[in-house]
Amino acid sequence: MNIFMREMKAHRKSLIFWCVGMIVMIISQMSKYTATSGDGQSLNTLMASMPKSLQAIIGSVSFDLSKLSGYYGMIFIYLALIATIHAAMLGADIISKEERDKTSEFLFVKPVSRNKVVTAKLSAAFVNIIILNIVTLITSIGLAGKYSKGEPLTSVIVNLMLGMFVLQLIFMFLGTGIAAVSNNPKGASSLAMGILLTTFILYNAIGMNSHLEVLKYLTPYKYFDAKNLISSVGFEPVFMILSALIILVLFTVTYVFYRRRDLEV
Amino acid sequence: MNAIEIKNLTKNYGTARGIENVSFNVEEGEIFGFIGPNGAGKSTTIRTLLALIHPTSGSATIFGKDCIKFAPEIAKEVGYLPSEVFYYDNMRVIDLLKYSASFYKKDCTKRIKELSEIMELDLKKKIDDLSFGNKKKVGIIQGLLHEPKLIILDEPTSGLDPLMQRKFFALLQEENKKGATILFSSHILSEVQKMCNRVAIIKEGKLITVEKISTLEENTYKKFKLEMKLVLDKNYFKMNGVNNLEAKDNVISFLFKGNLNLIMKRISELEITNIWIEEPDLEEIFIHYYVKED
Amino acid sequence: MNMFLHELKAYRKSTLIWTCSLISVVLLFLAMFPAMSKDAADFKKMLDNYSPALVKALGFSFDSLFSLLGFYSSVTLMYVLLCGSIQAMNLGTSIISKEVRDKTADFLLTKPVSRMQIMTAKLCAVITSLVITNVFFIAAASLMASVVQTEAYDYKIFLLVSLPLFFVQLMFMSLGIIISVLVPKIRSVLPISLGTVFGFFILSMLSSSNGDTASRFITPFKYFDSTYIIKNSAYEASYSIVAILFIVVTIAASYIIYSKKDIHSV
Repeated sequence: MNIFMREMKAHRKSLIFWCVGMIVMIISQMSKYTATSGDGQSLNTLMASMPKSLQAIIGSVSFDLSKLSGYYGMIFIYLALIATIHAAMLGADIISKEERDKTSEFLFVKPVSRNKVVTAKLSAAFVNIIILNIVTLITSIGLAGKYSKGEPLTSVIVNLMLGMFVLQLIFMFLGTGIAAVSNNPKGASSLAMGILLTTFILYNAIGMNSHLEVLKYLTPYKYFDAKNLISSVGFEPVFMILSALIILVLFTVTYVFYRRRDLEV
Repeated sequence: MNAIEIKNLTKNYGTARGIENVSFNVEEGEIFGFIGPNGAGKSTTIRTLLALIHPTSGSATIFGKDCIKFAPEIAKEVGYLPSEVFYYDNMRVIDLLKYSASFYKKDCTKRIKELSEIMELDLKKKIDDLSFGNKKKVGIIQGLLHEPKLIILDEPTSGLDPLMQRKFFALLQEENKKGATILFSSHILSEVQKMCNRVAIIKEGKLITVEKISTLEENTYKKFKLEMKLVLDKNYFKMNGVNNLEAKDNVISFLFKGNLNLIMKRISELEITNIWIEEPDLEEIFIHYYVKED
Repeated sequence: MNMFLHELKAYRKSTLIWTCSLISVVLLFLAMFPAMSKDAADFKKMLDNYSPALVKALGFSFDSLFSLLGFYSSVTLMYVLLCGSIQAMNLGTSIISKEVRDKTADFLLTKPVSRMQIMTAKLCAVITSLVITNVFFIAAASLMASVVQTEAYDYKIFLLVSLPLFFVQLMFMSLGIIISVLVPKIRSVLPISLGTVFGFFILSMLSSSNGDTASRFITPFKYFDSTYIIKNSAYEASYSIVAILFIVVTIAASYIIYSKKDIHSV
């Protein structure tokens, strides 16, 4: 419990920073929303018939922007991006910081097992990402009420936030897993970020070219595509299973490798 | 000629104490000790001399030049060994030493070889793989390889084994003979006693005194220890010149500085069973500087 | 010179990795150009069935947008800029802070060099590293472009839209430097640089969909608008001036702050 509290306190400032960033982001974007009226319906159909690659270039999106849910779906990927960057860095940092700050000699001569240390650290990281998720959820629902003009949005937002939560978990465990395996405590978060950036760019590339569709299993951002979560498609079982598998593997890796590693001094 | 002149140097860290009005001079060619307990301001003073931090007020000169304004110029003649050494990752010892040497416009290859032989340091090893003591050796060589005229050492001996310490001191003494001035900060008195000509004592950010080691060691202080038949109230010895008064059962001990006849008279009135009168070592002289005043 | 070489050597690996990543991004996206080009041709045929008024209402010029240059400048460069900015900001933030973090500040600052010289050597090393990245990137991009091109394009404009990578990198580098001299101790560089770069990136992504002009001054990503560059073969004067001013002022300020900074023991 003491380690847990210590970690919570150590990450308090950064969590507040991330939450504020998230809130500012949501407010600034939601407040810009003005529902487009039914005019230009024919224009919309024309746009919809445009190939994906072309849409990507002119910056159009395949969301129905006449509804707030469509608009929210468009900004979701960026909210998810913020949340996953936070999660991945937190995960990598919380595991590797003892060695980076040379406090490992302090912590590991205390009468605690390494498993306990990892559990406490993971719990703290877990609570952190939940808080960020809930803050995003509440801000979104609160603002949606203001701008939605009666459109029921709560269930859509809850769905999206559930998806975001799984994404957060995946990237958090990616961070902890890498930090536990990596010999170089300084490099862990760089590597986690490299992977995150790669999957993000891949996500966008897939959106532009249907030939790349097969690669969708490689990027978690595709697992919880806002388009599907808003529409009737919902959560796809194959991606849910894949997510669960990834999390489970990374979770095990974190514990096993951390127990075995030679701590640097 | 003074190598270092410090005038009313003050450094405030917000509300926390730094140093206040510290002034002293270090003469060229001497080994100067700078002692005080942890947190007294030794490092603050030294870091100001090295222009790592800027004084709030007051000034310091090294070889007659202002130590902040002419920092790069002064640094040519200064070698510094910090108390804790950490060096760039992924470098071999020789790479680091060569990098260090590249800052000075002279060829230091021979000197590096010489010093590493004295200090028994393997030049081909990676610095990351060295033990703490060996890293320290890298620090020592790095600080001495350009044959500086002024050597500044901040608690240099921690982490060195006694054998290495002796070699290190011999090295310093040799440099000193060649004309180098040495400023030596430490909280270990015995090494200061061994090495230094003069010593400055700093406590809680203020300079207490600057004295010659020989003066401190001169017979002005005597250590008295008396054994008596009866337990005596130690206040009996409360008089001018008595320090560090301690009583345990029927044994009383204290340091005395002053007219010896006065104290002898007082002792002669007592029934004593045994008496020791000794030269105190520095440690005992300084202990009252170290103990915080209430 | 010794410091410059030492710094350059320290960045060798990261420069290599970043250069490779930038090249991979540009290869990945440009490889998609032929397919897109075909889509565009089909779509154009389909548009013939619609009334010309409606097509006009779409509000964009077909030929320039779906050309190689249009594709390269709008989609590809966006991600290249994102990666390149992270690289630059990482470098900028770490040059001063790493001395403190690795506890080598005492070593370096007690050498007979002024802090100005230290800063200059480090700055030159970082800029060199960025120049190397840019040279290789532009070479790879040009090569790839000539492989996938379907019709001739203006190479001068190609260079003009590629160069902002370097300018934006300089902006993020200076931002990083000033942060690293202002913040007393930076434990780890990545959260700062990533937070900043991604923040600006998301801002620019979302401001483009809303099209407001004032916010263009806020995010470096928006200073060099490729549509304008392609149309006019030039950069927008007001943004270029602000960019240069920003870089000059932050770097000058960093020099001044760093020369007065206290280096504390650790």
